[in-house]
Amino acid sequence: MAVRTIDVRERVMARNDELATRVRARLAAHGVTAFNLVSSPGAGKTMLLERTLAAVGDELAISVVTGDVQTQNDADRLAVHTSRLVQAVVTGGACHLDALQILTSLDAIDLDRTRLLFIENVGNLVCPANWDLGELAKIVLFTVTEGEDKPLKYPKMFQNARYAVITKTDLLPYVPFDVELAIANAHRINPDLQFLQLSATTGAGLTEWFDFLRGAVPAPVA
Amino acid sequence: MEIARIAEDKLGEDSPMLAVVAVEVGDDAGVEPSSLEFCLEAVLATPPFRGARAEILRRPGNVLQVVWLEVDDGCPDD
Repeated sequence: MAVRTIDVRERVMARNDELATRVRARLAAHGVTAFNLVSSPGAGKTMLLERTLAAVGDELAISVVTGDVQTQNDADRLAVHTSRLVQAVVTGGACHLDALQILTSLDAIDLDRTRLLFIENVGNLVCPANWDLGELAKIVLFTVTEGEDKPLKYPKMFQNARYAVITKTDLLPYVPFDVELAIANAHRINPDLQFLQLSATTGAGLTEWFDFLRGAVPAPVA
Repeated sequence: MEIARIAEDKLGEDSPMLAVVAVEVGDDAGVEPSSLEFCLEAVLATPPFRGARAEILRRPGNVLQVVWLEVDDGCPDD
């Protein structure tokens, strides 16, 4: 028996990161800003996108890629609010989207008519944190029905996100959720994390959310 | 699966028998080592790996990489 060792030293995410670079370059060539929406299941990603598409979908020329383990329910819900294509990726069991899926999805999207691309990731606070999809930034949604210690329990996600949105604030009178403590916990993990707070149900905070999006999207070419 | 792809790439066309895949997993890598080990056990039980085993090496930081493979060329030692 001749046993030998092969030195490898290859990062597990290297290939995905290379594909994410291609996604980023392609979006940049078309002047498209992309946000990767991440959260635990049920934090309100789809509802926030519904409200966003209905209010500023045309103004900001928003396209969407949704990821779900099974069904294209989210894409169907969003399609009601936009005439633009909502590209559904069914991961078939995988707990996250990867850069190859996004690169492939871009083929179906009219990037010349898109200024803002939302990638609605699979609901999961663990795996999506590790996968660069070529986005400008990850936006982590964090709902008031979750514990204030979520950032401490899932640090990688809050470390890798640039923005955090506290959702379902209309439920604050009914749940023992300390907003200041939640934000302080998140800032222990990522001091630069910028917060927005909103309720997609009542509309509270949506104006600030839309203004944030307007500020993130380059002006349309005249 | 990415770990399996990396291993397959490195084994090349000669396809020696893989005995061990060593993976460094950082404490901040966002990966639960026991879950990874469980997954790799399932993947490495199937062709073309034919029963290789994973060796998870805990490290500080956020490293996540395949560091080395141990292969058996199937021929006697010199």
